[in-house]
Amino acid sequence: MTFSDETVMAYADGELEPQLRAELELAMAHDPQLARRVAAQRALRERLQRAFEPELDEPVPEQLLNAVRGATSSTVAPLRGARGTRTTWSWPQWSALAASFVLGAVLGPLLPGPSSTISTRDGQLLASGRLSRALSQQLASDASPASPVHIGLSFRTRDGTYCRSFLLRGSSALAGVACRDQGEWRLQVLAGTALGAAPEGAYRPAAAAMPAAVTQAVDALITGEPLDGPAEAAARDRGWRR
Amino acid sequence: MRTSAELHAQLVALLPKLRRFARTLARDVHDADDLVQLAIERALGRAAQLRADAPLAGWMFGIVRNAWIDEVRARGRRSRLFAPEEAAEQVSTPADTGHADRLAVHEALSRLPEEQRSAVALVLIEGLSYKEAAHVLDVPVGTLTSRLARGRTALQGMLADSPEPQA
Repeated sequence: MTFSDETVMAYADGELEPQLRAELELAMAHDPQLARRVAAQRALRERLQRAFEPELDEPVPEQLLNAVRGATSSTVAPLRGARGTRTTWSWPQWSALAASFVLGAVLGPLLPGPSSTISTRDGQLLASGRLSRALSQQLASDASPASPVHIGLSFRTRDGTYCRSFLLRGSSALAGVACRDQGEWRLQVLAGTALGAAPEGAYRPAAAAMPAAVTQAVDALITGEPLDGPAEAAARDRGWRR
Repeated sequence: MRTSAELHAQLVALLPKLRRFARTLARDVHDADDLVQLAIERALGRAAQLRADAPLAGWMFGIVRNAWIDEVRARGRRSRLFAPEEAAEQVSTPADTGHADRLAVHEALSRLPEEQRSAVALVLIEGLSYKEAAHVLDVPVGTLTSRLARGRTALQGMLADSPEPQA
């Protein structure tokens, strides 16, 4: 009797039903070739387990322990539900919202440079200063590693509003998404990134440091594809009007 | 239903395995940890759906894997979030890079298609049964076993070139 690879593998994994298992064991006693196939499957399994053993001994980052406690990273501040619809908020989200009020109070000292880049009005966070100027004028392609503001994606929401993702570099880096509304850039989400924590000279690419809150906000807001270079420039030249 | 204290304790105990599984999906360690964080947030948001007797590990592996699939779908856009010179960092695999066999195994696994890699990681590394792994991946057991078989055969082919050092 011949046994398929899948049968041999299932045997090595302890997943073969008793009848077939007995047949295979019987055959193996007389068939060194079959015994070698079984041994090879077991060896592969053991080799994989050994290769991935040390991962289990690594210390778990504090950030993940905090996430389990429901303390969403203290700087992540979702400011509005996706697409402006009402959402049912879970308690971690409430705590994140609470954190956003704290954020307003502590934001000033965190921001790079002397001029304010974010202001609040009627409970809304608005881009101001050079962040506002960059959102209005700067193209994604304008960024150099030294720029204090990097523009990421520009895109439109379902109702045609323009939104842009950005990264503010400084002693503490912040990333977010702002949407154009009545001549102002309203922040939809603002989150701290690990970027600012990198030691001087250790250049950590922004994409790797993008907080999940920002990418999720983009995914929730965007309709269609992001604007390409020419469309981005055209939208800028029209003053980001719908 | 589990109390939230029980759930938290069980999740903390599971974190090393979740991080390990996430790393078989996303090679970058930071991406993998972000994935685990996202999965935890999602899990806490829907903890009420988890039956008391349902195995937490399988449920969590499924959430990590679905989060990864969402991530891959969004990645076309993600890669354009910031200027091209800021391509994602590749901080691949083991800390003790001196260990050649570990590297070879990590490298070989990372070259499998995602479907086969998940099957191999869940069954051969995490030790799930075929039934549990099929449930996590939301496929019939037959599909799971055929992915597992193809993944194994490919791994054996790749690793035959770098035979395991005899201890």
